[in-house]
Amino acid sequence: MSPALRIARKEAGELVLGLRGQLWLAVTTAVLSGFSLLLVGSQELSLLDNAQVVYDMAGLITALGALLAVIAGIDAIGGERERGSLLPLLLAPVPRGSILVGKLGGPVAAWAVMLALAAPYFWAIGSTGQNLTSGMAALLALGTPVVLGFGFLGVALGAWMQSGRAALSVALTGLVLSASPLLLGPSLRQSAIGRMFDAVNPFSAALNCFDAVIIDSQGAVSQASHAVVTMVWLAVTAWAAAAAMRRLSR
Amino acid sequence: MQYRSMLIATLLAVPLLAGAARHTRAAAELAVSLAPIATNPAAPRMGDRLAFTSSIRNTGAAPVEGLIAWLSLVQVDPGHEQPVDLEDWSAHKAIALATLAPGAEVTTRWPMRLIQSGQYRVVVSAVSRAGDALTPSRFVDFTVAPKPVVESRRVLPVALGVPALLVVSLLLRRRRSAAI
Amino acid sequence: MGLIEIEHLQLSIDEVPVLRDVSLAVAPGEVLGLLGPNGAGKTTTIAAGLGLLRPEGGTVRLMGADPWTGGAVPRRRVGVLPDPNGFYDWMTAPDYLGFFADLHGVANDAAANERRMANVGLAPRRGQRIGTFSRGMRQRLGLARALIGDPLLLVLDEPTNGLDPRGRREIHDLLLDLAGQGVGILLCTHILDDAERLCGRVCVIDAGRTVVQGKLADLLLGRNSQRRFRLNLAGPLPGEGAAPGPAHVRILHQSSEYAIVDIDPHVTPAEAWRELFFLGWPIVTIAPEGGGLEALYLALTAGNTQVVRAAAAEPVP
Repeated sequence: MSPALRIARKEAGELVLGLRGQLWLAVTTAVLSGFSLLLVGSQELSLLDNAQVVYDMAGLITALGALLAVIAGIDAIGGERERGSLLPLLLAPVPRGSILVGKLGGPVAAWAVMLALAAPYFWAIGSTGQNLTSGMAALLALGTPVVLGFGFLGVALGAWMQSGRAALSVALTGLVLSASPLLLGPSLRQSAIGRMFDAVNPFSAALNCFDAVIIDSQGAVSQASHAVVTMVWLAVTAWAAAAAMRRLSR
Repeated sequence: MQYRSMLIATLLAVPLLAGAARHTRAAAELAVSLAPIATNPAAPRMGDRLAFTSSIRNTGAAPVEGLIAWLSLVQVDPGHEQPVDLEDWSAHKAIALATLAPGAEVTTRWPMRLIQSGQYRVVVSAVSRAGDALTPSRFVDFTVAPKPVVESRRVLPVALGVPALLVVSLLLRRRRSAAI
Repeated sequence: MGLIEIEHLQLSIDEVPVLRDVSLAVAPGEVLGLLGPNGAGKTTTIAAGLGLLRPEGGTVRLMGADPWTGGAVPRRRVGVLPDPNGFYDWMTAPDYLGFFADLHGVANDAAANERRMANVGLAPRRGQRIGTFSRGMRQRLGLARALIGDPLLLVLDEPTNGLDPRGRREIHDLLLDLAGQGVGILLCTHILDDAERLCGRVCVIDAGRTVVQGKLADLLLGRNSQRRFRLNLAGPLPGEGAAPGPAHVRILHQSSEYAIVDIDPHVTPAEAWRELFFLGWPIVTIAPEGGGLEALYLALTAGNTQVVRAAAAEPVP
C-alpha cells in the first residue's frame, strides 16, 4: 500500500469512524432531516417545486461538505501539530506530496459518506420531479472539486498559520463569503462587483450549474464554464496546500 | 424579500385589472395581443411548462419611444384572488425597446414553469415613455392541476428513518467496541 | 563517513539568529550527547539535521546526502524520537506501530508489531488505546516507533523523560545494545546522568554555537573539570594554624571528619594528594565533589546561566 493511501485510510478512519465523524454524521442527518421535514411541515415551503427543492438541497450538501472539508483540512495539519503527532509523520520517510494527498483522505471519505447519506433524502424530495439524476450528477461533478478545494484550503491554512483557531477563523470567513450566494441568490448579480464575484467564486459556479441543470433542464455540456471555475479553484488550492506543506517544519 | 416581491407583483397587476377598460390617447397607438403557443399541454399540471406569445404593434403614425412591456399573472381562484410573484415562475418578466416604428411589430415569447395549482389569468401590458396609460392585451386563462411536490409518505420515512438507523448503528458499534 | 555531519551551521527563524556556528557529527556505533541550556538551539539543530529547516550557512549531511534537498530518502534509515512526542490517541499501540511500519515500507503484521512492543516493554499494553497510556509508556512507544525500519541513526530528544528509574535503566540498556550493534545515536538530553551513562562523546552548544565537542573522558580530563573533592579524614588536620598550608590545594571547608578542597589547575590530582600526604593529612577516602559532567556543563554554559540569573534578579554567588 502506498504511503499516501495508508495515510488517507488512517485519516478517513479517524474522521468518519471517530467521535468527531459520528458527531458530524449526526449533524448532517439532523440538517437534512430538518430540511425535509420543513418541506412537508411548512405550507409555504411545501409549495416549492421539486426541482427547486433538489437545487436547495444540493447547495446545502455542498455547503456542509465544504464546511467539514475545511475543518478537517485544518485539523489534519494544525490540529495534529498542536497534539504533537504531526512531527513524527513529517519525519517518516514519506514525500510531502504523499502526506498532502493522504491528508485529503479524510475530507474525501467524509464527502463520499455525506453524498451517500444524502441520496435517500434526494429520492424522498425529488423523485417525483424533474432532473433528479442529472442534478445529483452535477452535485458529484462540481460539488466535489468545490469541497475538496476547501479541504486543500484548510490544509494550507493549517500549515501556514501557527494557531489552529486563527486558521479556522480565516477559513470560516472565506467559506461564509464564498457560500453567500446560497443565501443571497440572484440578487447578488445585480451589481458589477457581485457579477464579478459570481464569475470567479467556485461556490457560485456550482450553484449556477445546479440551477441550470436541475431547474432549467440545461445539458451537461453547457456547464463547461462552471466546471472550469471549480477545477481552477481545486488546482489553485492544491498548489497553495503543496507550497505550504513544503515549508512545514514542525 | 417575499413581501417586497408581493408588493412589486401587486403594483404590476393592479393597474392591469383596473386599467383594462380605460382608453386614452396613448393607448390607441399600441395594439397588444397575447396567445398561448400551440404546443402547450392541454391540461397542464404543476411543474409543466407553458409559453405565450405576445405581439405589440405600433398603430400610430409616429414612432413609439421607450417601450416597456411586461407579463403579469394573477390567481383567480374564488377566495384566493391575488397577484402572483413571477420570481419562481419565469425568468422572462419584461422587455424594453428603445423605439418602435409606425406599423412595426415586436413579437415576444414568454415561457413559464407552473409552480402552483390553481386558476390563473395572464396578460401582457405595454407602456411608452410619452404615453399616459398602459395598453393591456386580452387575458389568457389557464388552470394548473395539482401534483404532489414533496410527498410526506416518502419524506417522513427517510427524514425519521435515516437518523434512527444512524443512532442504532452507533449504539451497536459502541456496544461491540465495549465488548472488545 | 558520519551518519549525520553538521559543520558551521547557521540558521535564523523569523529573522532571529538561532544557530550561529554549530558543528557535530555522529559515527556508526557511537552515542553523541547534545547538551545545552534551554534555548541554546538543540531542537533547531536537530530539525536542520533532519531536513525540516533550511540552513542559511554551513553544511548538513544526513546519511551522506543533503536532507533539505534529498526529500524522504535520507530519512529512510533514521529513527527519531522528537520532543514533544504526540500520538494518535484513538489507536492501539500495535495499530500505531503498524501504521508507521507501512510508511517505512517494512513488515506490518501481528508478529512484527508484537516484537516491536516487546522491545520497549509495552507488550502487556497491546489492547490498550494510546490515549490511556502514561507519560512513560508514551515515551516507550515513541522509541518503538523510532526503531521501525532498523535505523542506522537514532535521533532522540529527551528519551527518558517521564520514565521511572527501572524504565530509564531498561532504555539505557536498549540504547547501549543498539550502539553495540553499530547504530549511531544523537542523544539530546537535560539529564546529565543519562549522558554520562550513555555517551562516548558530547557536544555542548550554547547560544547557537558549539562550545565544545569531543570524547567525554577527554573533556573531563582536558578541561580539568574534576577539581573539587571531599576528603574523609581519620582526625583533625596536623598543626592547624601553625604549619603552612598546602601550596596546590585550596581548603574550602574543614572539620575533624572531612574537608572540601579545590586543587590547583596546574597540578594533577595525584600530585595534590602526594603533597597532602607529606603534610600528614589523615586521609581515609577521596571522592569527587560536584564535579564530572555537571561541573563541565556548568562551566561551559556559565555565561548563559549568569545572564539568566541576572535577569531573574537573583544574587549571583
